[in-house]
Amino acid sequence: MLNQTDVDCNLVTSPVTSDVKTINRAAMDIMPLALATVPWGILCGSLAINIGLTAIQAQLMSLLVFAGAAQLASITIMGAAGAISSIFSSTFVISSRHLLYSAVFREHVRQRSFLVRCCIAFFLTDEMFAVTCAYIQKHKTFSALYAISAGITFYVVWNASTFAGIVAGQYIPNLESLGLEFAIAATFIAIVIPSIKDKSILIAVIVSGLSALVLSIYIPDSALIIATIGGMLAGYFTPIKEQHYG
Amino acid sequence: MDNFWLVLGGMTCITFSCRYLFLSRIVSFELSARIKRALSFTAPAVLTAMWMPIVFLGHQSSEVGFLNSPFLYAGLLTVLLSLKIKNTLAVVSIGMCTFAILSFIL
Repeated sequence: MLNQTDVDCNLVTSPVTSDVKTINRAAMDIMPLALATVPWGILCGSLAINIGLTAIQAQLMSLLVFAGAAQLASITIMGAAGAISSIFSSTFVISSRHLLYSAVFREHVRQRSFLVRCCIAFFLTDEMFAVTCAYIQKHKTFSALYAISAGITFYVVWNASTFAGIVAGQYIPNLESLGLEFAIAATFIAIVIPSIKDKSILIAVIVSGLSALVLSIYIPDSALIIATIGGMLAGYFTPIKEQHYG
Repeated sequence: MDNFWLVLGGMTCITFSCRYLFLSRIVSFELSARIKRALSFTAPAVLTAMWMPIVFLGHQSSEVGFLNSPFLYAGLLTVLLSLKIKNTLAVVSIGMCTFAILSFIL
């Protein structure tokens, strides 16, 4: 069905111009979201240098792992000389939301080639998921080209801001004393607060936040993962009156 | 960091697997509605578990007391702003400027 739509499109406009349009649209749509994560990328780069990673190691984190929250959490744990098992377990818990995203894309992508599916998976982020879902809603069809273009745009901005952080981190020691650490808090607040749309999300947020506060005093290594799971369970078991989730 | 390459390799595998799992043709099971609902709480829960300690315990990294902490006041202001303003970039920018000014004054 998707292929049929592609063919129809190509009959009307030349395939090359319509592809260029799709790529431009994807880049324009994701750009504001990408720019909002620039302070966060700078912080990832500079903190990695501060805890003793080399420039190449710091850049490889953004090039290969490409997951802001997981990178920051792991850098914090590495800086505190925490255990590898707690790095891996918090990476898994933080990344588990991507299971949901890949489950949503599944029906659209399953017939595509291995390479296309690998690209979509590699470039899958919260932001790419958000703009691609908006595209699907608007055009009633999934576009792998759109999804991958949006993903690559975000990837370039993320890695450029990490690079800026690495450079800054080498010349300005204790960059975090300038308040970049607060930039993470501000970014996350700006993402989370507007997403609180019903009571169950509110309860998940409160439980996770309060338990993170208490636990980070006593068991800093595993505070993040326990607080997150606690928040998820609290949200899940909050009774809902109407069925919001279909 | 002695084990850096192990950490990097492990993290790359974990993040890629979570993103790829349901796009693979080998995996045939579907996520149930219940699991999807549980996973929908991950993003707000994990992000809050990261910002709350910065806002309320951030003062511990410097010499200031809790009631003089720029993290506290700038954080609470950012929460209020994010309720009023839709633009993420504007909220983050105003929050950071407030933090910079407060750390200078307090």
